[in-house]
Amino acid sequence: MITKLFTPKNIRNLIITLVVVGVLFLAISGYLTPLFSFSVSPFISAQSWLSQRYLAFNDFFNSPRDMATLRAENTRLESEVAMLQSEVVALQENLAQSDILYTLLDFARTNPEHEYVAATVIGREISPFLQYVIIDKGSNDGLRHGMPVVTQQGLVGRIDALISDAARIQMITDANSTVNVKLQTAGVEGLVRGSVTGEISLDMVPVDIEIQIGDILMTSGLGGTYPANIFVGQIFSMQSKQNVLFQTGSIQPVVDFSNLSAVLVITNFDSVDISPLVP
Amino acid sequence: MWSYLISFASFVLMAMLQMSVFSQWKILSGSADILLLFVVVWCLYDRSKRLWLLIIVMAGIVNFISALPFYIPLIVYFFIYRLSRLIQTRIMQSPLLGIIVLTFVATLLQVILNMAYLFILRTDLAFTSALVEVALPSILLNMLLAIPMYAIVREIAYYAFPKGVEA
Repeated sequence: MITKLFTPKNIRNLIITLVVVGVLFLAISGYLTPLFSFSVSPFISAQSWLSQRYLAFNDFFNSPRDMATLRAENTRLESEVAMLQSEVVALQENLAQSDILYTLLDFARTNPEHEYVAATVIGREISPFLQYVIIDKGSNDGLRHGMPVVTQQGLVGRIDALISDAARIQMITDANSTVNVKLQTAGVEGLVRGSVTGEISLDMVPVDIEIQIGDILMTSGLGGTYPANIFVGQIFSMQSKQNVLFQTGSIQPVVDFSNLSAVLVITNFDSVDISPLVP
Repeated sequence: MWSYLISFASFVLMAMLQMSVFSQWKILSGSADILLLFVVVWCLYDRSKRLWLLIIVMAGIVNFISALPFYIPLIVYFFIYRLSRLIQTRIMQSPLLGIIVLTFVATLLQVILNMAYLFILRTDLAFTSALVEVALPSILLNMLLAIPMYAIVREIAYYAFPKGVEA
């Protein structure tokens, strides 16, 4: 009976069954995963290579149609980008203009004693010896000769000539311009003069007064040309010579006259012409 | 008549460019005067007998937009007009050389008249800084821009004088 059970055929079947069950057990247990991966990876690589070649082959035959579509799409997107870029530039310009106007508006709110008309600078003087700018508001907007002009930083000048829709402003940097000022810390008054080079300087300050560098200059209101208490600049340096009655000084203006783009005209200030009283 | 209209329109365009662009292009404190350059080049091209009328109109435009007294552009432009006639007939036939000479002399005259005007007004004129920082850079810029202006006005002159540009 036993000899019949252990026949060579049965033993071979048993061994095969045990090997198969063992391999299944090892596979289910995860012990064969590295071996499986190692044996499968060449096939995956081969499959990948084949797939890429096929896709390249497929692209080669289908590309004319896709290229035309892509070119059309690219052209459309490029035009859209160009349009958006121009919109961005326009919006940035509007933003810059709005910033200036908001700052001017803020200045007008913080100085409610005056009435203002905002104007844009549209031109500059032809002669390099004179310091004038032209604005886009004139007598139609209520402007009159002699009205003071300011920015959010400080004093710019006064209206020198005007027509219905434009006006010419003589800046305080002009060689023929003089502004009566007072020094905030020193408490004395002086005269700010322009020059042909566009720089401003302090004059008519007695030599016995000690002036500190950085002292702030504001309009004094004397002479009736400008209202009082508008910023003009700061003392940059002082020079005093022997045997002179007055000391002079260089001033750093608070307004950037080279980049003037928008200004405010004070419309409720009537300047007084004292030239007939000057001997 | 056609040439007068073209020159008038061109001068107005140049005035707008001068006020908005070229007055802000500075070397130190000096700036170019393309209106003067236009008058210089135009006077060398235009040989009509009534050019003086156009000169008065151009000086009037400058007087309208500038704070300069009316007589300064009038004197300078008539000086250019007379000197251009002299250059055309007696001195030389080379237009480029004539433009450079005329630009230099006219700018120099304009600078001198500007400084004289400020001096008469008793302005505290620092002569050295006015000369170094304003006058000389202005002359230099005008000399540099004379050649491009010559090229531009030459193109305009083809439309203004259809029979041919003589200069």
